[in-house]
Amino acid sequence: MAETILFYIFAIGVLFAGAQVVLRRNPVHGALSLVACFFFLAGTYVLLAAHLIAILQIMVYAGAVMVLFVFVIMLLNLKDEELGTPRRTIWKGIGLVSVVGATGAVAWRGLGSAYDSVLAHGAATQLTDMAKHTLPGAPFGSLKAVAHAVYLNSVLPFELTSLLLLVAVVGAVVVAKGKI
Amino acid sequence: MDSYLTPYLPVLILLVIAGVMCTAISLLAGKLGPRRITSVKEGAFECGNPSTGDGHARHSVRFYLVALLFIVFDVESVFVYPWGAMLHDFQAQHLGWFAFGEMMSFMATLALGLVYVWRKGALNWSADVNS
Amino acid sequence: MNFNPNDLVGILPAVILTLGGCALMTTEVFLRKDGPDRRYQPFLAAVFGLIALYVSLSQLGDPSATLFAGAAVADGIGRSISAVVSGTLVLSVLLAAGYLETLSASRGEFYALALFSAAGMCLLSQATDLIVVFIALEVMSLAVYSLTAWLRKGTKPAEAAFKYFVLGSFASAIFLYGAALAFGAAGSTRIADLALAVRNANAGSSMLVYAAGALLTVGFAFKVAAFPFHMWVPDVYDGAPAPVTGFMAAGVKAAAFATLARILIGGFGDVGASMGPHGWQSLIVLLAGATMLVGNVLAVPQRSVKRMLAYSSIAHAGYLLVSIAAMAGSEPRQDAVFGLVFYLASYAATVIGAFGIVALIERKLAPTGASDDLTTWGGLAQKHPLLAAAMSLFMLSLAGVPPTAGFMGKLGIFRAAIEAGLVPLAIFGVLTSAAGLYYYLRVVVYIYMVPSTKPEPVVGGRMLTAGVALAACAVLVIWMGVQPGAFATLTQSSLAGFGK
Repeated sequence: MAETILFYIFAIGVLFAGAQVVLRRNPVHGALSLVACFFFLAGTYVLLAAHLIAILQIMVYAGAVMVLFVFVIMLLNLKDEELGTPRRTIWKGIGLVSVVGATGAVAWRGLGSAYDSVLAHGAATQLTDMAKHTLPGAPFGSLKAVAHAVYLNSVLPFELTSLLLLVAVVGAVVVAKGKI
Repeated sequence: MDSYLTPYLPVLILLVIAGVMCTAISLLAGKLGPRRITSVKEGAFECGNPSTGDGHARHSVRFYLVALLFIVFDVESVFVYPWGAMLHDFQAQHLGWFAFGEMMSFMATLALGLVYVWRKGALNWSADVNS
Repeated sequence: MNFNPNDLVGILPAVILTLGGCALMTTEVFLRKDGPDRRYQPFLAAVFGLIALYVSLSQLGDPSATLFAGAAVADGIGRSISAVVSGTLVLSVLLAAGYLETLSASRGEFYALALFSAAGMCLLSQATDLIVVFIALEVMSLAVYSLTAWLRKGTKPAEAAFKYFVLGSFASAIFLYGAALAFGAAGSTRIADLALAVRNANAGSSMLVYAAGALLTVGFAFKVAAFPFHMWVPDVYDGAPAPVTGFMAAGVKAAAFATLARILIGGFGDVGASMGPHGWQSLIVLLAGATMLVGNVLAVPQRSVKRMLAYSSIAHAGYLLVSIAAMAGSEPRQDAVFGLVFYLASYAATVIGAFGIVALIERKLAPTGASDDLTTWGGLAQKHPLLAAAMSLFMLSLAGVPPTAGFMGKLGIFRAAIEAGLVPLAIFGVLTSAAGLYYYLRVVVYIYMVPSTKPEPVVGGRMLTAGVALAACAVLVIWMGVQPGAFATLTQSSLAGFGK
């Protein structure tokens, strides 16, 4: 019961804050809404028993990625007159309808029908069971389980991630640094 | 109540207390405190010159580069953290050297990135402003 | 633990390219002389590319092997795409050497990023796990975004890189959503497990699988520039440095098409031609038809040869989609897979040559910021008869005129389509490619018939390395055209990838 209430709080929070990110004219308000969105998402991860991912979501996204966003906003430092006046065009309406329609169709027809059985058995009870019985001594979502999955079961993606980060470093320096 | 969320109960209590206290203090301070604004109060008093210009200055692109590099190495630290916590367990499974070599290869790649950034002077704050 | 040192042998081309990139970065920070002398860097990059090419060719005949407990695979299609990518890299690097030197933008990072991106392409074509697909895709894309922004002067490169980055990230996000839904349906990110989920899909989970397949396809349709996800192509191809554009057109397409085929055949192969909601063949047929039409029609009014080649690359994505549609039909898939790999190889050789000559023109034009309008190509035949002949050859190959590589490639794909029963699509493809003749031959007409308006040479800078690369492209185009059997080992062995 508590899970259901919390889920709706977090879900509505994510949707509301996400909408604010897009709709706010002032980019700083948008960035702060994004922080809120990240926190609500972290709450959702807790509900999914993914504790480590929840704390990483707060550390990396709400912490580091947001710093980058705020820097970009301060770098651009758009004034109100540069932002222009809001315009309501027919294309924005079409875009909104198609995005909501497509996401809704996937959620309703795809996810809804696939998880009917899960919901019937009570998702919270199942997660509680999973938290107890996944690996001996390593409940689902714990540090141990995540480390097992990352370092032992995904060697190739893990090493490839270091290459991705290296490319990101080089790309950032190449694009953003004036004189190399 | 036997739920996987039970350990989070103290967090919830803390959040509630923090929320109530913050709201209450700011509301009460606004309601109860006297508010008499005069031009002397608004001005800078013995603390430097009256401010000029806009408070919103444009920041240099260097902040952006530093923030970007910070994120990359922050993500690296995120990968190191569970590894450091679990290395003892890996050793118990006779995978200690494997996990060690795996992480060393990961970190060597990023160390190359660090050397690159360093030698290129991207961490050099006192370089000329336009660089 | 799912690691075996032998697994590294399976991804050896990617490992070599990664080490090469690291070596280039090391030279850039430690072995750099003060001053502009960095002429050894492109050759170092080319040597690593050649080693990777040699390794992937020498492994071609080996039996397929599962690597990293199913996260990747070393099979025919992965090895042939690795060979195509490595060859693409070598030729692009040689073309870029003189280009960057002339524009005084030659630095080791360029080659390092190119090598990293090629490593990403090789792994992408070998990946059988959606997580590996995603990370390899991002390695490839991030490096190519940065290369697009390489010449930072002026607005065009910035606009191109920004558009590419934003739309590319959007496409990656859509792919990721699809991967998440696929994980929800299969309980695993392995493509093989996805195939099990597709096979056992019941009324409840079938829509989930269907949505996952659609989103994964959309993600790759962006990368390969299929209609209606092609909007970024003209600006990005036009704004990027011409050698990078060639690398993008050949390498990214090859890797992305191989992976799209692997996901659709490996994951959803059982239901390709079925009539139910899973039958994705009709969807790909529609995409292919629209892409061929849009690419060819929009290429006609272009005055800039570089933009024309950008639209023509959309059209070629359409032809390649025809082979994917032909694979959807049940066994045997040999002809379609054969057609796909051969077409990718022939398109790579041709388009790198074409963009290489555009790069020679651009060397001269880039400082002035002018675009390579058709009139700037006038008189090329009088001043540089060899270049004019090579450009005409590449144009004929893109148009699909015998006896060039492009003709054999189109022949293979349309034959596969007809054998798979897609006769109307094949006829439509032949008609659109006939329409393409107009704008390809117009370039040839300008080169030979229109006299130059200015006395100075049309191209600038040192020509030696670019000349070698262009000669290699031209030889490959003719060789693949007259003796396609010689490349049979390359493409035949790719059949092992999809078994049966």
